[in-house]
Amino acid sequence: MNLIRVAFVLCCLVCVAACDRLPESYAPPEQRHPVQGFNPGPEAMMVEMSDPDASLHIANDIYGPSDPSWRWTSQNPSVRLLVLSTEHLKFHADFAIWDDGFKVTGPVEIAYLVNGRPLDKIRYTTPGIKHFERPVPPDWLSADTDTTLAMSIDKLYVAPKDGVKFGVILQRIGLKQQ
Amino acid sequence: MIRVIPVLFGALFTVATAWSLGMLLFHKLSLAFHAWEERLLAFVAGSAGLSAIMFVLSATRLARRGIMLVLALGIIGYAAYSGALRVSGKPFPPLPRLWVWIFGAGFAAFTYVGFFNALAPEHSPDGMAYHLGEVLKYQHAHGFARITTDLYSNLSQGIELIYLFAVDFGRNSAASLVHFTFLVVLVFLILAYGKRIGRPDVGAAAALITYASPIVLHDASIAYIDVALAAVLFALFYLLQIWDENRDPKMLVPIGLLAGFGYEVKYTAFIAVPYAAGFIAWKLWRERKPVLRPVLVVSLIALSCIVPWMVKDWIEVANPVSPLANRLFPNPYVHISFEDSWRRYLSNYDLTSHWQIPLQLTVQGDRLEGFLGPLFLLAPFALLGLRYREGRQLLLAAAIFGCTYFSNIGTRFLIPLVPFVSLALALVITNVQWLLPTVVVAACISCWPDVYQYYCAPYAFRIEEVPVMAALRLQPEEAYLSMDPEYVVAHMIGTTVPPGERVFAISQGGQSYLQRDLLVGYESAPNEVLQDILWTPVVRINQPTRILKFDFPARELRRLRVVQTARLPANQWSIAELRVFNGQAELARDAAGRLSAQPNPWDVQLAFDNSPVTRWRSWQPAAPGMHVELDFGRLQSASGVVVESSEDTGEARVKLEGMGADGTWVTLSDRPVQSSQPIRASLRLAATAELKARGVQYLLIKPENPGASDLRTYPAFWGLTVAGAVGDVRLFHIK
Repeated sequence: MNLIRVAFVLCCLVCVAACDRLPESYAPPEQRHPVQGFNPGPEAMMVEMSDPDASLHIANDIYGPSDPSWRWTSQNPSVRLLVLSTEHLKFHADFAIWDDGFKVTGPVEIAYLVNGRPLDKIRYTTPGIKHFERPVPPDWLSADTDTTLAMSIDKLYVAPKDGVKFGVILQRIGLKQQ
Repeated sequence: MIRVIPVLFGALFTVATAWSLGMLLFHKLSLAFHAWEERLLAFVAGSAGLSAIMFVLSATRLARRGIMLVLALGIIGYAAYSGALRVSGKPFPPLPRLWVWIFGAGFAAFTYVGFFNALAPEHSPDGMAYHLGEVLKYQHAHGFARITTDLYSNLSQGIELIYLFAVDFGRNSAASLVHFTFLVVLVFLILAYGKRIGRPDVGAAAALITYASPIVLHDASIAYIDVALAAVLFALFYLLQIWDENRDPKMLVPIGLLAGFGYEVKYTAFIAVPYAAGFIAWKLWRERKPVLRPVLVVSLIALSCIVPWMVKDWIEVANPVSPLANRLFPNPYVHISFEDSWRRYLSNYDLTSHWQIPLQLTVQGDRLEGFLGPLFLLAPFALLGLRYREGRQLLLAAAIFGCTYFSNIGTRFLIPLVPFVSLALALVITNVQWLLPTVVVAACISCWPDVYQYYCAPYAFRIEEVPVMAALRLQPEEAYLSMDPEYVVAHMIGTTVPPGERVFAISQGGQSYLQRDLLVGYESAPNEVLQDILWTPVVRINQPTRILKFDFPARELRRLRVVQTARLPANQWSIAELRVFNGQAELARDAAGRLSAQPNPWDVQLAFDNSPVTRWRSWQPAAPGMHVELDFGRLQSASGVVVESSEDTGEARVKLEGMGADGTWVTLSDRPVQSSQPIRASLRLAATAELKARGVQYLLIKPENPGASDLRTYPAFWGLTVAGAVGDVRLFHIK
């Protein structure tokens, strides 16, 4: 019986010794600073049609690659992308209006939209290479979800052979820091 | 085919060791049984003994193959030498011829299904994720490794320790075979019980009904533990019935052992202890015999099995019944909010109505993870068995062991009741001539895999095939396992991630084949913090956009605290950052200061680290009196406090209290000015940097995980590169 008592007391002592009291208060921790190091770069918010991953960002009305560097669009081409910061950003688009198509459609009006909100509307009266650039109000953007950038083209060229509709020849679209 | 030999050896060696231990125990106690009863009960009681031995070896980090081999050979050898393996009891009378044929044919058919599934490489969801996942960790550590990031390792693991023994000799399938052995033993125990009560037809019928039940057979053929628990509880019931007949006081030893072993197998079986003690007390009290000593003997033996697990949890995770009762035992390892949501889910399984339960349990089996078979639609008729003494005993045991069912309504949690209900139902049906054999044959046909596929839900948890070639290793193990995406992902991680590096995942995987540290989002409090950090950049209501500004006349303060005053059952309270100002200048965080919080003091530093992706959270519903406190360590002049919080705190109300030189708390302001601060920059890099700072180098993302689309589409924004991919599953490396 004594042996049992001794064993019991020893077991209790072992258990008590094993218990580690958790601290009740803590010192202030190491302070974090804005993350440095890897930076996705200024082009991270641009969708290049030549990029093999471009299709990950295409939301609507942009056809498969016709050429390594550009793609045809339809009426409402749009892309989704992330912004690194919502401030000091400009909507950029590089595209071309096809000469032969322009002969059929005449002047084209293109509206530029950010998350469905119209940023600008421009009437193009000549074909050829075009560049669009306009600041985006920070309140229109969010850093936690995708931003949708879109173009809305009022007149399309319809291919006589198969009836496929073409808008513009898109090279890149996205946002750039001012 | 030669590769199957270690598997069979591992299983047989484990079973032989457990059986020898049980036979030794019975021999030493000179207990009187019928011949088959002794063999069967010895295996179950010996399993409790083997589990206890493995506990001691694991606690002392001596769970090494050589030590286990010598111990097991010693046990088997000593049992043989001492004559303990000689069966002494009288045999039962043979089964009636009709039942020999029915039972023989049914048993052979379902053994074919169950045995080859058990022998095949183990790849069950929970088996891979934690039953054998934990075993793998213990195997490498040669015993209990202190694991604070996986709540499954806090559960009692009585059967897993037996699997540890089996796996060390025969790898993962040996564990499944040991579990299958528990089913075979259970089936013959039911048969023996029928013979003992003079109703061999009832015993044979109930044994076959139990054996054929799809969830029982499936569960037994994988490395789960539910069927083992059913065997333990039925063996306990059986021993109590024998004790009731012979009142042999030595019988109380295996009774106490099995009552305690029930808890060791699964927490929900804690009820076995009051059942056994209550049964004995009631029987003795009715006969006006001394009650205390027998009840104490049973209770103390049971407690000797239970207490070591409680002590282990108390030492390792500061909660003897972790992951439950975290309100009673607050600790930094399991959040109260997790326990609450886990309980809510397990008591509901996302069913829209409890009226779905009967069909889910018996024929559908997709939402409640398995089905018992259509015969169990007749289970209410078992209540007619109350007319018989045996029926009352069976139904009492079923009621007691089933009283915890509504805490987890999964079908597996009814497996321990199946033998009792089957026996009671068979007792009722046997009164009508030819009905019992007809019902049993019909039950067997309805439970055959080729038949039930026509009525069960398409995604029901069930046996779908009999993988004979894989079981015999004629199909290479790798080829068979590669059909399971979880195994393929585990293999990909194993080949990509260097040893010692940590992977964070939102959901479980094939940990039993993965020798890497995989932290699963919900499996511990620290993991939930990692998950919270990871989701903050993409979940707006988690972000620190709600600003509460307290202004007060400048004064000298020793301490400051922000106190929450509202009761919000649906919201937690959180603080992303707490900043103190003196005039326009923010006070630097002085190393002499001390931080505390109530509740969850362990995360308080997250409210003072200047990171927008970390936050102190209450991790339980917001309640009055919760506070976060800053002790300056000296008198400090201050005139304002800014609390950065998030929208998911709901209608939380806060006030600011301060303590001056006089040591009394006074309210400085209870009317903060609230404003909204939009997040202007992506928090993604900050989140992955925090994960990396916590030792996580890799992220495993499955397509169904929240935020998966963002991570897969914009890895560069997170500072991630794709290290591996399996289908839509991505393994990212944090740069």
